[in-house]
Amino acid sequence: MFDINELILKKAKEIGFGDFVVLSYETQRRQVRFANNEITVAKNWHYQKSVIFAEYEKRLVSTELTTLDEKTIEETLKMLFKTAKAMEPKKDYYGIAEGPFEYRDIPETFDRKIVELDEPNEYVEIAINSALEEGAKRVAGVLYTDYNKLYLTTSNNVEAFDEGTGIEISVRAFVDDVASGHGTNSVRVLKRFDPESAGRKAGEIAKLAINPEEGEAGKYDVIFDPLAFANLLSYMSFMTSAFAVEAGFSFLVGKLEQKVASEGIVLKDVGNMPNAYGTRKFDDEGVPTQETTIIENGVLKTYLLNTSLAKKYNTKTTANAGLTMPRAWNIYLEAGDYSKEELFSEVKRGIYITNVWYTRFQNYVAGDFSTIPRDGAFLIENGEIVKPIRNIRVSDNFQRILESIAALGKELYHIHWWEVRTPVFTPYVLVKDVGITKATK
Amino acid sequence: MHELVEFAVEKALEFGAKYAEARFEEHSGVNIVMKNGNPEGLGMRADRGIGIRVLVNGGMGFASTNVLTKESVSEVVKKAVKLAKAASKVRNRPIEFSEERFHEVYYEVRMKKDFRDYSGEEKMEYLKLIEEEVLNSGGNVPMRFLSYQDWIARKYFVNNEGAKVESVIPRVSITYNLVVFEEGQVEQAPFVQTAFTGGLELIEKAEPWKRALNDVKALQRLIKEGKKPPEGKVDVVISPEVAGIAVHESVGHPYEADRIFGREAAQAGESFVKPDMLGKRIGSEVVTVIEDPTIPNSWGFYLYDDEGVKARPRYLIKDGIITEFLMNREYAYYLDTHSNASARAINYDREPIVRMANTYLAPGDYSFEELIEDVKLGVYMVSFNEWNIDDRRYQQRYIGREAYLIENGEIKHPVRRPILEITTKGLWSSVDAVGKEVEFYPGTCGKGEPGQGVPVWMGGASARLRDVVLRR
Repeated sequence: MFDINELILKKAKEIGFGDFVVLSYETQRRQVRFANNEITVAKNWHYQKSVIFAEYEKRLVSTELTTLDEKTIEETLKMLFKTAKAMEPKKDYYGIAEGPFEYRDIPETFDRKIVELDEPNEYVEIAINSALEEGAKRVAGVLYTDYNKLYLTTSNNVEAFDEGTGIEISVRAFVDDVASGHGTNSVRVLKRFDPESAGRKAGEIAKLAINPEEGEAGKYDVIFDPLAFANLLSYMSFMTSAFAVEAGFSFLVGKLEQKVASEGIVLKDVGNMPNAYGTRKFDDEGVPTQETTIIENGVLKTYLLNTSLAKKYNTKTTANAGLTMPRAWNIYLEAGDYSKEELFSEVKRGIYITNVWYTRFQNYVAGDFSTIPRDGAFLIENGEIVKPIRNIRVSDNFQRILESIAALGKELYHIHWWEVRTPVFTPYVLVKDVGITKATK
Repeated sequence: MHELVEFAVEKALEFGAKYAEARFEEHSGVNIVMKNGNPEGLGMRADRGIGIRVLVNGGMGFASTNVLTKESVSEVVKKAVKLAKAASKVRNRPIEFSEERFHEVYYEVRMKKDFRDYSGEEKMEYLKLIEEEVLNSGGNVPMRFLSYQDWIARKYFVNNEGAKVESVIPRVSITYNLVVFEEGQVEQAPFVQTAFTGGLELIEKAEPWKRALNDVKALQRLIKEGKKPPEGKVDVVISPEVAGIAVHESVGHPYEADRIFGREAAQAGESFVKPDMLGKRIGSEVVTVIEDPTIPNSWGFYLYDDEGVKARPRYLIKDGIITEFLMNREYAYYLDTHSNASARAINYDREPIVRMANTYLAPGDYSFEELIEDVKLGVYMVSFNEWNIDDRRYQQRYIGREAYLIENGEIKHPVRRPILEITTKGLWSSVDAVGKEVEFYPGTCGKGEPGQGVPVWMGGASARLRDVVLRR
């Protein structure tokens, strides 16, 4: 599609635009959804589009072209230009990245076997059966296969191409209405795909969760399963964007170089990580993706930036464009040195939370939030799981949670599913004195 | 375009589908963002494509494309049929649809002040009005995220059972996030939206800039005069906005038949409601909850759903009794009844699934003064920030943003963050009086995978809850 990009860029220059970005893509995406041990629907999406970002004397406009003939392109650009000219400038706009850049191939991001995979239903059956073997009665979930081609051309000497694949599954198993467990597996190459592990984990937790008792409100040491902690980190990923900080959607406002997490905590965004679901070779302005340390030894070091925001704050881009809003690619919480058993043995009286959903904020800037455990949650006494519990809510503050991390598991898990939209790498995490509440009537 | 849609349905039957539908959608519009006084940019939305859904051997397949040639559509139909066939092999029972009466119909929502006739800069004026009101309020509001959005959705739906439904629906919306810093404290009004189907005249009448000023003043007052709310068993009067989120979360969602039957189990979850609970009591006699897609100019408006079924008001709860679930054709069939037109898709590239439209607590016969006058000790919750509910829709919580103490029948000083954390049955059983006046608030309801955020209204009348536990 570079010929289309070139055509669009040529016309844009003729019309009089300044900074100009065309990101064209072709996508083939497939989904198999299942519930009650059967497939409920199978889907296929095909997209061929060009996303345009354009600047005229600091006036910013954008659109998406879905019809790629010359006439439509020309008419659209003229309309965009007319709109841009009539607007007021964005005073704090400082441009896009100047190319050219060199791009390196990132291992394990493309696999022709996924492109050529005719029929993925056997993986669904493997996941369902492994959950049933663990003792589940009903299994639900979703499988995706992805194939994307990206073509980026900018007015500032960037021409970049990336091709990626992925396959992933999310499995929720039920023994009965209130005993359930969840497991996921997301990879970029077929040989790494393990739908069985997702099914087994879901089934195992569901079985452990039978006959839950009402949980009690209070302060507890909580072990967050990677699935549960990934949810919090996924929300946090948005809050690390400089855009979210400026717009008042982040508890990290005004906290650069301040301590925001317990000592030893290292949180990164890694855009070029092999076999990670969010990995891309370059960001939306063509800067090669990189590893960015957001929190180092508990101290906030940077927000996620594009070129314009970086210039505004006299620093370098972190290669996270989004031209309007920088975004994280893969959030990565560095592992600790605890085995799972050692982590549990640290807990005298606490709760093991295997999954959460519906994280919402009373105040984004203060970081006050709550989130609801779903699937198995278990009371821990003296390092042992004593019983499953239900009907509780985590009601706390984001920064307090980060500052109260007491121990981290030594293995990292890659989490990406319906509730965790930014891919996250996280270990099991032990947090001290977490606020737990519950309904009172 | 009509021809291509009809071609898709014919092709699907030719390839062996028992049921086939095709839906063309074109969405065109504008969004404008202003952050802390700076225009962040204007986005022109121009999206269109076609989605095909089929049943083959009892399996369901869906495929879509934005490449609108006969060749491409034919390819997509072939894919949908192939997917459905393969899916049918991993089914215990075939998927069937209820029988419905279908229509050939065209409908549109007319705009008095057509937003297509106004420039981006003219639309930006609405955001500037909010800026002005907020900056002149005398409060310190350093973070201001404002957005304007409009779009027209043109749809053409055809199935092989005689439905041909064409519609043109314009939508317009303004949203803001305002962060107030005073006296070293921070309070915020996030994602406050004003939204309609229709033209700019509706925004101008609603005056979201006045609402923004009220929000800033209320937050300032909360910081300066706010006290702790009472704790323990008290009465709580909830406003139409709070009643709206409560009916949406704890009545609308658990009555969605696809959740009840487990189809959304791995995503939005299931429901505490079971099919045999129809006819059972869930709330007091004064509680009636209505779901109505047909309210003119409502944010959730439609007259025919995305399976071509004619919409009507649905009584989810009548006088405290569960009376109806939200159903599409698949789940109506399992319940041996007809669809009540709850199937919605946000765009051509999504399957229609069971959704709400406009959900509200039906009015009672109390004036607002009557709701308050015999409350000895309680809280009036006007708006909320944090809210959530478990995935069976039984344990919910709402934390007040603007809220006031009620003492001996009078509204007193603001209270900080009163927390109502309560079960669904506990909540609706505690209502002893419902107000006369109805108001609606827009929202984007999330469900489905991939996600389908659909426009909905939530609201209704104010309600008085007796003897509920309030926390702080």
